[in-house]
Amino acid sequence: MHLGMVIDLKRCIGCQACSLACKQSNNLPDSVWWTRVMTVGGSEMDTAGGTYPNNYLSYAPISCQHCENPACVKVCPVGATYKDPETGVVRQDYDKCIGCRMCMSACPYTGVRSFNWEEPKHYLDFATGDPDVPSHQKHVVEKCTFCYQRSSQGKTPACMELCPGRARFWGDLDDPESDVSKALKGREATTLLPEMGTKPSVYYLV
Amino acid sequence: MTDTTATAGAVKAPAAKRSGAGLNIAIGVSAVVAVIGIVLWAMQLSGGMVQTAMRNLDSWGLYITMFMFFVGLSAGGLIISSVPKAFGIKGFGGISKVAVMTSIAATVAAIGMVVVDLGQPARVWELFAYSNLGSPLMWDIIVLMVYLVLSCVYLWAQVQHEKGKVSAVALRVISVVALVCAVLVHSVTAWIFGLQQSHEMWHTALLAPWFVSSALVCGTGLVMAAVIALRAAGYLKLDQAYLVKLAKLLAVFLLVDLYFFGCDLLTEAFPAGSGLAVVDMLVSGPLAPFFWGEVVLSVVAIVLCVVPQLRTTPLMVVAALAAIAAIFCKRAQLLVGGFQIPNIDMPAVLTPFTVTNWEGNMAQAYSGMVYWPTPLEFGVTLGVVALGFLIFFLGLKLLPLKPQDQE
Repeated sequence: MHLGMVIDLKRCIGCQACSLACKQSNNLPDSVWWTRVMTVGGSEMDTAGGTYPNNYLSYAPISCQHCENPACVKVCPVGATYKDPETGVVRQDYDKCIGCRMCMSACPYTGVRSFNWEEPKHYLDFATGDPDVPSHQKHVVEKCTFCYQRSSQGKTPACMELCPGRARFWGDLDDPESDVSKALKGREATTLLPEMGTKPSVYYLV
Repeated sequence: MTDTTATAGAVKAPAAKRSGAGLNIAIGVSAVVAVIGIVLWAMQLSGGMVQTAMRNLDSWGLYITMFMFFVGLSAGGLIISSVPKAFGIKGFGGISKVAVMTSIAATVAAIGMVVVDLGQPARVWELFAYSNLGSPLMWDIIVLMVYLVLSCVYLWAQVQHEKGKVSAVALRVISVVALVCAVLVHSVTAWIFGLQQSHEMWHTALLAPWFVSSALVCGTGLVMAAVIALRAAGYLKLDQAYLVKLAKLLAVFLLVDLYFFGCDLLTEAFPAGSGLAVVDMLVSGPLAPFFWGEVVLSVVAIVLCVVPQLRTTPLMVVAALAAIAAIFCKRAQLLVGGFQIPNIDMPAVLTPFTVTNWEGNMAQAYSGMVYWPTPLEFGVTLGVVALGFLIFFLGLKLLPLKPQDQE
């Protein structure tokens, strides 16, 4: 099994609902975002690219790419970040992480890994989201887990649930009948920074 | 060279007494600064690393810069002392043991810099329990440990050899092993950075040999500065001819280092592709002070070392310190430069964790240097530097490091 995601950039409206769903489901601390919707072309968030009158508004949701050849896994000195052999998901063991941040430096996808620079704080005084999310720790690296607590039980990741444009597809890339495989058929797809040779499990339909 | 050797002042007898008291003061001061550093480090751990300027997009800073720097400084002593022994050529007039002591002190400081950079230092034992032998960081930890142990063994073997307990052959074998390990420790440190395809500036096969040459520059500079200071303090006597030899060696190492720099800049810039951004950033961008600092300091040091009339003791100290400062500029360029050019710089949500200057937009965050340390980081770093000095001074006080014939 090779779990993967396909994101149709023509359907993404930049509403950030996936970012919020992710944040809530994983009970992410303040200042931490595992999924960020990037504005393509503009200089600020939600600004148009191009020059007047030929402007466009375009977005790219970016989180951990769950690479088949992950740069982070290779460099972690203690194996705190590792590839799940069952699903191909790149996971992070908070209890093992020594906080050296080698993985953050090695990952080509700038900013998808986040370090808890202080004791995790939350806006709410109660935990939100899935009950079996591991609790967040100070001074360790964390990132998107493809909602392992959900995906390991056959459910879809939280970012899929609320997407109003239905821009995200999820499933087993090895199964030709899965939603992801079907979504990839007949469409031009790219991955982020293919020249890095990391072979992401997240595809973008353009 | 007779013109410069003539200036070698004969060491005055009272200096030796004075140096004993001076050494005790130096030990006391460095111990106090080291303790202050430990207190600041405890503050960093309890209050959180949010007190440093490091953030997600510039996740390493002054600590790892200083780690690279100290690994480099540790080179000189060991190499200067082991090369003559390994190849059976004439050495540098009995400074071998003092030189190795500088290596030991610099290696301890390098390890200290990694430790203060860790978010979870209490988990370091995991490095030995769950070692991922594929990680360059793991290689470095292993090689640094071996290097430290080997430096100590090498120092011990030299002392024992002088007492007639270790044979010359055994000492020569140890010096060959130490030399190989010294080259390896710099290469492996370079690979922590150079094997990452994610940072164009770092991802070059030249990085490992370049780290060796930079290490030779600042290591030789450190040995020069240390032995001149020790001679002035009356700790040891050293013929000026040996210093001149060291100065010439320093000039050669500097030239090799600049040659590598030139090769790298040309290779980056010539295709006029994405590598041009790296060269622009160095030559005229946010890192220009460090780039030109390195170039100017290197050239000054070379001139002082190759012009015979300029090879006076004070100017050789200037050359040695300029060489060390030049390599520090190199380390700062390399570390900050690696983070200065992000692969993905599209605007998205910015939080206090994202990048040091997070309050504007991405372009503003990168308009100057993306990272500049906080006072806490300077304080902790100063503490680790003091720890290195403390170890060196304790070595001077407690170990028989004076040249054999001068004891």
